[in-house]
Amino acid sequence: MDGTRQGAPGDIKHRLETRTQAKRAAILPEAVSMPAPVDPAAPGGAIIEPVPRSDANGDILLRILSIVALVVIWQVASLFLSNTVLPGPLPVVQAMIDNLKIGQTYVDIGATIYRVFAGVIIAVAGGLALGLIMGLSRRGEQFFDSWVLVGLTIPAVVYGIVGILWFGLNNAAAIIAIALTALPAVTLNIWQGVKAIDMSLVHMAKAFRFPSLTIMRTIIIPQVLPYLLAAFRYALGIGWKTATIVELIGLSTGVGYQLNYWFGLFNMTEVLAWTLTFTIVLLAFEFLIFKPVESYLTRWRTDVQRS
Amino acid sequence: MSDTSFYIKLDNVTKEFPLAGRHALTVIKELSLDIEKGSLVSILGPSGCGKSTLLNLMNGLDDVSAGSITVNGHRIGRKEQSNVRIGVAFQTPRLLNWRSVRDNVILPLLVNGVTRAEARDRAAKYLDLVGLGEFADYFPLRLSGGMQQRVSLARGLALEPDLLLADEPFSALDEITATRLRSELVEMWRVTGRTILFVTHNIREAVFLSSRLVVVTARPCHVHLDLPILVPHPRDVTDKGLFEIETYVSEQFKVMEREARERAASKAA
Repeated sequence: MDGTRQGAPGDIKHRLETRTQAKRAAILPEAVSMPAPVDPAAPGGAIIEPVPRSDANGDILLRILSIVALVVIWQVASLFLSNTVLPGPLPVVQAMIDNLKIGQTYVDIGATIYRVFAGVIIAVAGGLALGLIMGLSRRGEQFFDSWVLVGLTIPAVVYGIVGILWFGLNNAAAIIAIALTALPAVTLNIWQGVKAIDMSLVHMAKAFRFPSLTIMRTIIIPQVLPYLLAAFRYALGIGWKTATIVELIGLSTGVGYQLNYWFGLFNMTEVLAWTLTFTIVLLAFEFLIFKPVESYLTRWRTDVQRS
Repeated sequence: MSDTSFYIKLDNVTKEFPLAGRHALTVIKELSLDIEKGSLVSILGPSGCGKSTLLNLMNGLDDVSAGSITVNGHRIGRKEQSNVRIGVAFQTPRLLNWRSVRDNVILPLLVNGVTRAEARDRAAKYLDLVGLGEFADYFPLRLSGGMQQRVSLARGLALEPDLLLADEPFSALDEITATRLRSELVEMWRVTGRTILFVTHNIREAVFLSSRLVVVTARPCHVHLDLPILVPHPRDVTDKGLFEIETYVSEQFKVMEREARERAASKAA
């Protein structure tokens, strides 16, 4: 895959190959006296070694190390700067914990999560439809591709302003702004995904008389799925940034509102505490829900064997 | 109606592909060929001569530009696919990488009305045949290219088709595996009496396998030589008779190339 696990694969590959060679030899008597050849058609490292357990631990260790390093740099930098410029990690975490003891904090976080997810779901649904049209039809592509380019160019803050002017200072404004900001990027991803579909597989399926619905279910969707997941993740990132902007401009709840409030008071500690809080929420979603779902759906790429 | 006595009848088949702003590209030109039920016919020709196009036409995946194709008494086209069960083996594996090896073999069976239990049995049987019985639970990307190709072959065979259309299925395999699978293919053909159409550009392979060998020319593709091979099966790779046929066919290839060159030269002049 990435060339870093090349050491051991040869071994398992060789073992697997010799096993089959032995089996072949048993069936083909004249091959008995021959040395087991290495399959010349096999590209190097085609059989990918399961990630050794020690390596997986090493990955986690490295991750922890990288976070610790970040915190240390933050701490050291904060020693040289005043609290209004860069407070250290300890006061920020303390502020965050204090905030979490107040009920209103959860109202604000909940409001932002609701806006982000509602907007992202609309963006993904719309982007899926548009991306499929653009990927499957040449006319659709020619018609919409400049729309996507224009959409990508417009800054999120413009969508925010437009949303508020259209819908007023409410959730609808935030949700529409998020959906519009994320839509072009999602469309682009699905569009590329559909274009990358291996048509020789569709041809194979037709040769075996697969019905169209079966082709959609077993060949098209599995190939677009990784792009859909990537689009969803990307939309989530954009959505959170846009939500903050809209809340900052005109709403009276949400993480963005809190950021604006503490910015008004020049309270850097609280600004960082709120940023940290929502970062943790997004990371929790990423690691507890998104990553497991993704690795299950794309397990055929990395796992050696179905469990 | 002597026409219907043949299992497959290609009558003056021409296939052209329209090219934007230029002449249409004629891939197959007035090709006529009758194939008897239960024969193992090799179609041998230079690469890029339209052999794969021919298989697509016979499978009803594309329409002829002129002429007609009849399979088992039914005229074939995109609207009218044949009533016989057709299995396909391709040059490249064309596996669904997100499905296990077993599922890859089972899926076409289910689509073609085989019960799940029967499909599982057949998958096990044909994966064993290609030497991959123990890899049924693997995902294809875990296997080497040669192993994937064998899965693909098992998929085509497991359907137990009335007509097997094989498009250079052994060309990507190592010689030892290919030799063994060729023998297995011939054995299966002898036992079941099914019809196999085998496209290849490997002269030795074609001579070894087939009961009849059809040499086609470079584009536009038409029949250059139609040769029955009467050496009885099972054949030995080292058989002198086969070697002589192989030499003869190689010479015919040279003749064909010279003719093509002369035609090109006269066209230029």
